[in-house]
Formats: sequence, C-alpha cells, structure tokens
Amino acid sequence: MTTWELFTNGFSVLMDPYTFMMVVFAIIVGTIFGALPGVSATMAVALGLPFTYSMQPIQAIVFLVAVYCSSITGGSITAILFKIPGVPSSAPTTFDGYPMAQRGEAGKALGIALGSSAIGGLVSALAMLTLSPQLTQAALSFSPSDIFAITFMGLSILTCLDSKNILRTLISGLLGLLLACVGQDPMYAVQRLTFGSGELIAGLEMIPVLIGIFAVTEVLKQTKKRTKLESDETNASVNTKMPSFKEWWGIKWLLARCSVIGTVIGILPGAGATIASFLCYSSETKLSKHPEKFGTGIIDGIAASETANNAATGGAMVPLLSLGIPGGNAAAVMMSALVLKGVQLGPLLLVNQPQYLSATFASMVVTNILMVVVAIGIAKVFAQILAVPYSYLGPIIIMLAIIGSYATNMSIADVKIMAIAGVLGLIISACHFNSAALILGLVLGVICEGNFSRAYTISRADIVGMFSRPVAGTLMVISIILLVWPILSQMFRKKEA
Amino acid sequence: MFELICNILLWLGLLYAYCFNVLEAPIPDRVARNPYTLKPDMWPKAIIILLLICIAINIINIIRKNKNNPEFSLDALLSIRARVCIGIALVVGASFILEPLGYMATCVLVLFFYGLLLGQHHVIRLAIFSVLVTLVLYVVFSVLLSVNLPRGTIPELRNFSLYVESIVSTVKGSIM
Repeated sequence: MTTWELFTNGFSVLMDPYTFMMVVFAIIVGTIFGALPGVSATMAVALGLPFTYSMQPIQAIVFLVAVYCSSITGGSITAILFKIPGVPSSAPTTFDGYPMAQRGEAGKALGIALGSSAIGGLVSALAMLTLSPQLTQAALSFSPSDIFAITFMGLSILTCLDSKNILRTLISGLLGLLLACVGQDPMYAVQRLTFGSGELIAGLEMIPVLIGIFAVTEVLKQTKKRTKLESDETNASVNTKMPSFKEWWGIKWLLARCSVIGTVIGILPGAGATIASFLCYSSETKLSKHPEKFGTGIIDGIAASETANNAATGGAMVPLLSLGIPGGNAAAVMMSALVLKGVQLGPLLLVNQPQYLSATFASMVVTNILMVVVAIGIAKVFAQILAVPYSYLGPIIIMLAIIGSYATNMSIADVKIMAIAGVLGLIISACHFNSAALILGLVLGVICEGNFSRAYTISRADIVGMFSRPVAGTLMVISIILLVWPILSQMFRKKEA
Repeated sequence: MFELICNILLWLGLLYAYCFNVLEAPIPDRVARNPYTLKPDMWPKAIIILLLICIAINIINIIRKNKNNPEFSLDALLSIRARVCIGIALVVGASFILEPLGYMATCVLVLFFYGLLLGQHHVIRLAIFSVLVTLVLYVVFSVLLSVNLPRGTIPELRNFSLYVESIVSTVKGSIM
C-alpha cells in the first residue's frame, strides 16, 4: 500500500460518525485526565481501556491514540494555571507558563501551549506514516553510549539555566542526579541511598516529587506572601489567545527542531515524552539568543516543552506499530489492548493489517487539531478556579497534590515523598538553588546512569572507547563545550572587569 | 545564615552518605570480581564527590559575601514566618495521618485548617466548603477514576468510609 493510500484510508475510517464521535469523546476524556494531577498519560490510557472492550479493533486503536495524545496536552493546562504539571512531561511548561499566568498572560500561555502541542503532534504523525521503518531502524541502531551522550547533552544545560548562579545551579542538578540514584541500581538491583527505608527501595517516583516541588512549594510560598494570580479578564476567566502570526513565525525553527527531536526521543525505548520535553527545553535555552529570559515567562519555553512532548507521542507509536516494541509505558498499555483485539503489531502490520497504521495516523491528525478546540473549552472551566479566593484555592491544591501523589501507585509512601519534596522545594528556593535544574537531573539521572553503565560494560571499561562511535563522540564534544563555555566566559568576563 | 546552615548540613549529610550509606547491601561477588562493569556505588559516589566540592566552594562564597552583612545572623533564621512552619506541619502531618484517618477525615481537616491558615475567617463557610470539596474530589477520583482512596485504619473512620462507599455504589448502580 502506498503512503497516499494509507493517508486516504485512515481518514475514510474516521468518516464513520460513530468512530468520529469516539475520537471526540476520547479527546475530552484524555484532556481532563491529563489535566488532573497524578493521572499520567499511561494511567489515562489504562483508564480508557474499559471503553474499548465493546469496540472494533480499529475503533479501539483510534480511541486509545486520541486519549494518549490529548492527555499529554491536557497536562499543560494545570501546569500553566496552577504550576501543577498534570503529567510529568508538562513540568518544563511550568517554568515559563506559570510566570506568564502570574503576569496575567495565562490565555496567551495556553494558546502557545495548545498550538505548539498540535504542531508537534502533527509533525510526528506525518513522520510516523512516511518514515516509520527508517526511523525505527535508525533509533534502534543507537547504542547505550549514544543514548548516554544524548542525555548528557540535556544535562549540559545546567550551566546555562541561571547564568548568575552557575555554581548553585550545578549543585541543584547534581542533587537531582543523586536523588535519581535512590533505590536499586539499574544494572544489578543493589539497594543504594535508601537509609534503611523499605519505601525507598523502588526509588523516588517522579510524579510525587514533581507535584511536591512545584505545587506544594508554591502554596507554602503563598502562605508567607500571597500574590494572587492575575488573569486576563476582570472576572478571572481565561480566554485562550492564540499568539500572532509574527510570534509563531519567530519560533518557526524552534518548532521544527523540537518536533524532530521529540519524535526521535519518542522512538527511543525507555525515553518518552518527559525526557523529550526536558531535552528540548534545555537545547532551546542553549540555542536561544536570549537564554536569560527562559524561566521568566516567554513563549519559547512553553513552545519547546509542549512541541516536544506531543511529538514524542507520534514517536512512541513508531516502534510499537512497526516492530511491536512499546517505546514507553503508555504504548505498552496500548499494546496489551491491541493484542487482545487481534492486532498483529510488528513488521507484518504494514503487510497484513495496514489499516491500523493509517487509522493511527488519521486519529493523531484529527486529535491534534480537535484537541486545540476541546482543550480551550476545558481550560476555560479550569480557569474558573482562578476566581476562587486563595484561602479556598490553596487548600484544594494541597489536597489535589496529596491525592495525585497517592493515585500514582496507591501508595502512602508517595504522599510522604511529595510532602518532603514540597519542603525541599521551599529550602531550595530559600538557598537560591534551582528547582528546574534539580528536576532535570532527576529526570535524566536514571536513563543517564543506566546507559553509561551498559556502555561501560560493552566497551570493557574503556571510557575513551565508549565514545569512539561518531554519534556519541560528536555529541559528547558538543556537550562538554556547552557545559564548560558559560563557566569559562564568566571567568574571562571577571578577569576583564 | 539560613542558607549557610542548609549548605553545611547538606555537606555533612552527603559526607555521611558517602561514608556509610551509599550501598545498603553488599555487591554480588560476580559483579565485584568483574573488572569490566560499573560497580553500583561508583556512579553515586562520583556525584557525591562533585557535590562535596561544589558545596564547599558555595559555603566559602556565602561566608565571603556576607562577612560584613549585618543581616548575616541568627535573627534572619528566626524571621522565618510561623505561618510557613504551620503550613509545612500541615502538609507533612497530612501525609502521616492519611493512612490512619483515611481520605475523608484527612481531606476535611486539611481543607479546613489550611483555609484558616490562609486567612479565611468565615468558619462555617469554610467547614461547608471543606465537606463539599471532600465529596467532589471523592466522586472525581474514587467513583469516576476508580482510585481506591485510603479508608483509614481507625475502626470508626473506616466504617464511615465504607458507609459512604456503599451509598455511592448504590447511587452509581441505580444510575447505570
């Protein structure tokens, strides 16, 4: 079947009114799930599974893909409005989204988040349809040393996140990397840094730490000095405003880069939307002409994060459909549902059941377009909460943080971790450390150590040999330059002064 | 002063972790003998060493910068507002009472007392708000999203949770 035939067949599937209605329903459900703290994209897909029991396989795949894509976008709503990342991949969105909301530009922040999510999702869907086999082969040829080099490049942002506090930012990033070591080591499952606590053996769950550091810390800060969120309108409702064409044009290369990087990261097994959004945020900070403005509330930061995490959704579908390998947890849940429906995921899918690939593509395209409209409506509902006095809103955020942390694994230990992370976030802020750097270290730490360890064993303890591959070697050289340059330039400036 | 104390405590904590707590179990023999593998303690120890160096430099910087600063005293530490401390106590306390008291009681207590802390003086309105939000969150997470919220271990509170659940399931059954 040619690419054009795949393209047209996919849309003919969605012409069926029942299937189309299912997609719309999936978008609404997915966006709401994504916006709720503690309900990750994986959980959203899992919660969507019961709806698919009575569906045809093709309707089931269309429905689950729509839930998956829209849940990633939904996470940005609460990230911008309340500094609570609905899904972990929306955490970098809080860096610029929340300051914009505090300035009264929540509508614009939501507009850029939804628009760039759609662009990232559409590009990755197109890549999935046209380059699926090639992309999969390319991604699977990445060795552990290549993946380590990619994550190390993400970490090289540390010296650039806050140019006035390089040392403190570096400490924060290293603390994040150390926190990622808590639990069992990735190769031999030896317990480390658990201090005898059985609750820490499985390591620190990402969602409770993110909720604690972002949401709880913010409420604790507001307890001291209350700065009510301002909204665009006097009645505290938020009208999502799409940025002007000029503003979109200004970030065209950013959108292109993040779409490509997000798609590729999505394909890599074990990576996914969270790592994609952090890596793109970090790389855009490096490439920007005004890196100092990142984190203060600019559209570039939101666009980088949201384009990448939605592009990763298309990327995650590539190995799932063409090789039968789930790229992440959400893809694994989807895989189990599709296998039950008799879908033969893998190389034979394109030969025997090409309609599933085309239906997935069509669903992604329609979802990414429709979800902008749906998410605007849902954001309006969520934004009504801004009108609530903070003496009511603050306690609700605390309770959402508690339930959100608990819901991840139904674990009280996660609630305690969230509370401790909240206090830690407050101390980090008081000590002028950088919470974004800490989270970056925590997110990239596990994948960084795991791949370094594997590469070290493969190269038989030859560290130089580890980076003899062209991809790994080039990326490492670039990373080291990126890491050291801000420190050296600051030293030169001091000398000159 | 607060920053300096935190940095010193962090430095000492990391030193303790480096010396005594990186590994909680012995490295398996086959791993220990293999010269071509990264030992489980090598990565965290490398990070801790880097941290110890960076934090030591940071401590020196803080002392240098604040040598002649009159605010650089214990008074700054004491100025941390009591409200924040109560807020911290409420959040941490909630995480500990969630298991024995269960979702219902914890949610009502947190909403009520944190509301008071944030300056809401209408006690009756706050009490009604606490109960209503508890029910709304319960319906969203427990009924719609099938999250099994904690029922509590204290018999009376547990029975109350089970009673509410039975009402909800009856209502749900009649709707479905």
